[in-house]
Amino acid sequence: MALFEARNIHKRFGSRVVLENISLAFEEGQISGIMGPNGAGKSTCFHVLTGQHKPDRGEVLFDGQRISGLPPQRIARMGVSRSFQLMNLFDDTVVIENVMLALPAFRERRLKAMSAVFSDTALIDRALVVLDQVGLAVRAWDAAASLSYGDRRALEIAVALAAEPRILFLDEPTSGLGAEATRRLALLVRRLRERYTIVMIEHDMRFLFELADRISVIHWGQVIAEGTPAQLGDNKWVRRSALAEATHA
Amino acid sequence: MSAMLDVSNLSKIYTRGRFDRTPTFRLDADFSIEEPAIVGMMGPNGSGKTTLFELITGSNSPTSGKVEVCGRDIHRVRTDERDRLAIHYHQSYQVRHFRSLRPNALMQRAGSDYPLVHLFDEPQFNTQDGYIGFMLDFFRRLRAEGRLVFLCVHPNERFHLEILEEICERFIFVNKGVVTPLPDYAGLLAHEPARAYLGNLLTERAAALEPAA
Repeated sequence: MALFEARNIHKRFGSRVVLENISLAFEEGQISGIMGPNGAGKSTCFHVLTGQHKPDRGEVLFDGQRISGLPPQRIARMGVSRSFQLMNLFDDTVVIENVMLALPAFRERRLKAMSAVFSDTALIDRALVVLDQVGLAVRAWDAAASLSYGDRRALEIAVALAAEPRILFLDEPTSGLGAEATRRLALLVRRLRERYTIVMIEHDMRFLFELADRISVIHWGQVIAEGTPAQLGDNKWVRRSALAEATHA
Repeated sequence: MSAMLDVSNLSKIYTRGRFDRTPTFRLDADFSIEEPAIVGMMGPNGSGKTTLFELITGSNSPTSGKVEVCGRDIHRVRTDERDRLAIHYHQSYQVRHFRSLRPNALMQRAGSDYPLVHLFDEPQFNTQDGYIGFMLDFFRRLRAEGRLVFLCVHPNERFHLEILEEICERFIFVNKGVVTPLPDYAGLLAHEPARAYLGNLLTERAAALEPAA
């Protein structure tokens, strides 16, 4: 059975159908991709999967348990973590503090003063482990505001990993990144695959075809195609497109 | 067994205003599609294609005549369930608000969870991104599941004709409010108003298909 599953999800906003009968399954240890043109319903789908929106019909299952309808914090505590399209980091602090604030051990301490936090070596060590997973351990004590755009994206991923998830959802991870930063992000995602189950929404089709084990194509609020990159690439019109190079890479 | 879609003696007449009833536009349609199919629809701008789609989905009311989807009169089905019978995928994602004089409680249920008729209004076809292939496969899947697919395309590039020829089994040509069903691609090309509308694309396509001398 798949680690994460959506079954027959339906969502309307007013009289408009945004998601129509969407079913998806993400296997443990794989990178699953979701792609689609603008306005196809990708973001709404993501919000429903991670609990920000409640579906009108259908259900979402994580590890066999129904999670649709539960509050997002509860879903997060069960091991479902997500990054956001908008940068939400604390810029007036150091890099490591962003991660420490997201550690479950910190949240259990609640409102204790930050000075006490910085003297807690166990917390610092744990944050360093997480930063190391995204290649930012050496920048731990630098100002967060000093990071490049690509490093900020890596830090956002570290913040999502701090919650110790079993499955990590990435929302348009390449958005705003240049070619070099995108290439580095691809290396990072490939490395994280060894440790986490990953689901990404991405409109950069080449990035997705290069990294994902399986891809679901969403359009008109529905899954219009799915398969491995090789299966999706085996199509006359895809072969004629600019994507052809990526699928044969 | 009722037809998938039965459009009978349908007309929609727009007039200048409430008091001046001089007609400004008139659409007439009378056709039936018995079985699941992929139907290509085309015609010049302002010929009535979108109005026809709106009449089929029940978001616009006819002046006379009726539309039946699998035996159900779409204009007698609850407004909040009409898209379970026929759904209009708008180019702009706008949705027209349903107006009805009768309350939903007095109308029929759709009796379907997933739309039976799917009307795609000028989907964006771009040869660069490869989505065309996924879209065409999706249309084929809907048809294989026993649904009726309408694909409205405004062909302005040669590959648009290629798509229509590849996927559509039959056609509907709309011109100045006159709706003409055509049995296949050859029938479309034999229809004089359609030839005039496609104009240069046909000669370009013929030239492209001709083996180099």
